[in-house]
Amino acid sequence: MTDTPPDANAADRRLLRTTVNGIARQELVEPRMLLSDFLRRTLHLTGTHVGCAHGVCGCCTVLVDGATARACLTFAVQVQDREVQSVEGLGEDPIAAALRASFHECHALQCGYCTPGFLMAARQLLSETPEPDEETIRVALSGNICRCTGYVNIVRAVRHAADSLAAARDQQQGLSDAR
Amino acid sequence: MPGNAPFRHIGRPMPRTEDARLLAGGAAFVDDLPELPGTLHMACMRSPVAHGRIREIDTSGALGLPGVHAVLTGAELGDRIAPMVADRDKAGFRETRRDILPADTVRFVGDTIAVVLADDPYVAEDALSLIVADIEELEPVVAIDAALADGAVLVHPEIGDNIPFSIAQTTEGFEAAFAAAAAVVSDVFTSTRLAGVAMEPRGCVAQVDVGLDSLTLWSSTQVPHLLRLAIAELLDWPESRLRVIAPDVGGGFGPKAHVYPEEILCAYLARRHGRPVKWIGDRQDDFLTTTHARDSRFAVEMALSADGDILAVRNHVDVNIGAYACFPFGANAEAGGGAIYMPGAYRFAHYDFRARSVMTHTAPAGVYRGVAAPVAHFAFEGLLDRAARKLGLDPLALRRRNLLRPDEYPHVNAAGIRSDGGSHHECLERALAAIDHDGFRAAQPADRRIGGRLVGIGVACITEHTGQGASRYRTRGLLRVPGMEGATVRIESDGNVSVAISQSTQGQGHLTAFAQVVAESLGVDPEQITVSEGDTALSPFGSGTFASRGAVIAGGAAYRASQEVAAKIRRIAAHHLEVAEGDIELVEGHARLKGVRQMALSLREIAGIAHSLDPRALPEGEEYGLEARRFYDPPGVVLSNAVHAACVSIDTDTGQVRVERYVVAHDCGRIINPLIVAGQVHGGVAQGLGQALMEGVHYDETGQLLTTQLLDYIVPLAADVPDIALCHVETPSSDTLLGIKGAGEGGVIGAVPAIALAVNDALAGRGAMVSRLPLSPEYILSLMTMPAPGR
Repeated sequence: MTDTPPDANAADRRLLRTTVNGIARQELVEPRMLLSDFLRRTLHLTGTHVGCAHGVCGCCTVLVDGATARACLTFAVQVQDREVQSVEGLGEDPIAAALRASFHECHALQCGYCTPGFLMAARQLLSETPEPDEETIRVALSGNICRCTGYVNIVRAVRHAADSLAAARDQQQGLSDAR
Repeated sequence: MPGNAPFRHIGRPMPRTEDARLLAGGAAFVDDLPELPGTLHMACMRSPVAHGRIREIDTSGALGLPGVHAVLTGAELGDRIAPMVADRDKAGFRETRRDILPADTVRFVGDTIAVVLADDPYVAEDALSLIVADIEELEPVVAIDAALADGAVLVHPEIGDNIPFSIAQTTEGFEAAFAAAAAVVSDVFTSTRLAGVAMEPRGCVAQVDVGLDSLTLWSSTQVPHLLRLAIAELLDWPESRLRVIAPDVGGGFGPKAHVYPEEILCAYLARRHGRPVKWIGDRQDDFLTTTHARDSRFAVEMALSADGDILAVRNHVDVNIGAYACFPFGANAEAGGGAIYMPGAYRFAHYDFRARSVMTHTAPAGVYRGVAAPVAHFAFEGLLDRAARKLGLDPLALRRRNLLRPDEYPHVNAAGIRSDGGSHHECLERALAAIDHDGFRAAQPADRRIGGRLVGIGVACITEHTGQGASRYRTRGLLRVPGMEGATVRIESDGNVSVAISQSTQGQGHLTAFAQVVAESLGVDPEQITVSEGDTALSPFGSGTFASRGAVIAGGAAYRASQEVAAKIRRIAAHHLEVAEGDIELVEGHARLKGVRQMALSLREIAGIAHSLDPRALPEGEEYGLEARRFYDPPGVVLSNAVHAACVSIDTDTGQVRVERYVVAHDCGRIINPLIVAGQVHGGVAQGLGQALMEGVHYDETGQLLTTQLLDYIVPLAADVPDIALCHVETPSSDTLLGIKGAGEGGVIGAVPAIALAVNDALAGRGAMVSRLPLSPEYILSLMTMPAPGR
């Protein structure tokens, strides 16, 4: 056995303080550690997938301070004092919940590997543009690759989620008008 | 759905039971599995040259890096792992071998020359850069013509040439039919090599119980049982001590239906070191080492009568299969398929084919969704367009004239393939209506030009070989592919239902679809049925998920097993209700006297009886338990059919093709779940669009791979694929259980020719027709600037 001490590279580690899915984290990390590996290997948040590791496929899309980012192109140390949200942290966020329901209903996922990235990108889209047309959806999702669905049902699901959120807003508006 | 009247669950567009965990980030792809204590991470050093002789590999630097546990080369490995052999010598086939870790000769950029085991994956990668490989570079052959030239460098010198597989067949009377033709059209159709690009790169984890000398291997594979068989053979390890699990698999599409060196190495190294060994490929490695496909050339001739009947077709196929024949499909999958798949929706009596697989110093090429069919149909439909022009016929009229009619079935085509049905005319008319073909033509200017774009419409009629059983694989000479599938259906002692299927799923919704099939037999809700796949310890032996065989064959096995269990439930219920078995119906989780709610036993009660947990006894002579294991092996092959219609526009400045509208009318027999079928078609069309317009693996003349990232190898994005309209035509097969036909590949098979034909139409004013894939902007521009041919 040529086992080495677990901290062979400890000399070069940095203390990372960050918030992930609402929980404050403090971990020693190598400066070269990618955010995707920090989430997946250190925090065991394996919903963020890595499909290319060079920022093209979008599988690793997360939110950093509320904006989408590629976890495979971000070093963990770059999220010092920032807030990271991964698919596991979307929870009861109403846009994410509507998207999950629509993805299920519209059969917008097959193998599911790219799905967390699409949810992140679609959530960002609907939070900025609540009622996007098809063209807008397609452009907004063009940073994410899906190899199973041909995007057909993903686009339909995002449209469907937008409609159901709009209906919910209308209903709420109706209720408050009625009061 | 009127044709579905007797069915309660089959045919229902049920959203999938597998979705919730995938949507919540709770999936378990192989790299998501909790890391096993003591895991060693494997990294692979790949040959930097296409052809070479290994002189020395100095691993001392890597071994000196803290955190590195071991480094292994082929020289050190010796003969401890047997070479992979996919084909045996027999008529048409020559046996070649693939060393798992070559000690002497490297045959492509990507052949593995050393592996590192380290405590941390980053350190394992670091160690690769400290390995010094001294390799004598030898001259490579990269392309088909170079490999076929006299005196060509040989990839496997022991077979005497670079042709490990060849086949030729001619129908009797072919020459006379050809000579009698009024017109002959011919062309050479080529396809650029593709990569499958499943979003999850390959990966595996091996764990050995040292005391038991037993292995569990988790792998991102489509063929768990065949992978287990390969490990047993190559490592001389009893199958009884090997368990292969395909967990969630992030897309397969064929390339993951091959067995790879890394899987064998992880198993071997876990046994050797007594610690778990994990390997996760990255995208670059995936482009280098995962099988490619469709590097092919079809030289085709078609002879027709003056009024447009197809009389005879000649098809000479050459396929570049790279450096090794892949296990389990061997050297012939694409070449053999290219010959056999060409006679599809159209009638012709005479066929002459010759197909060859050609080896080169490039990555092994194997099966990828549609295999050779997309290019075969691209070539055939391309010839039909040429024939229409030559004979002065309307392209659609020519197709209508030659499409097989329903009354011509059952039909044995010129390649000897029998099919029990085909709804080509119905699909054609429905597709034309759905895309408003007449409206498009009316609005289309004679010169095809609208503003800065040329517009065209293409209509392709295709068939898809699905559900191939054991007899087909034997006929094709693929002796490592069993052909059948198995299923176990068990009612647990509490009345809940467990199903285990011999396949693995990569997103095709198997867990939902097979639950629907079993629910149909047992009269319970599909949601209450737990289906598992991908685990050799839980499921009967079977072939795996490829070649559109899931619904047909595994679905058939699940149906058989569930019918057997249902029969036993009826017997037990009939005994205790004191009625005849034939009067028992299984509904809503109960076995009851038909139509009588009060005369019923719940499945839970019956399970209790069957497991001796109930005061009531089993009927005399009845075995304990409530379980059946059945296999299904369909009689041959069942052909699905489809018509794809595409409207495209071409930017005349850039040559870029945009697909504007897309319609598929398809017939895959009895549909288990239309949502899932639609998803399969959509995804296939997008992959076909990729092949038609943009995808391509490129090597330079020295065999260096130029397309190593998704920045170089372009796949379709959401903005490239239009919405796709579907028309389901449902003609149940009389050859398969439940009348099911497969649906996994038709999307890609139809999209390639449909888009190509639409481009032909858009270019019609210029006289050019496409003959090579992809239809890249450069290629289209070159066609647009070509002088019009003299007429």
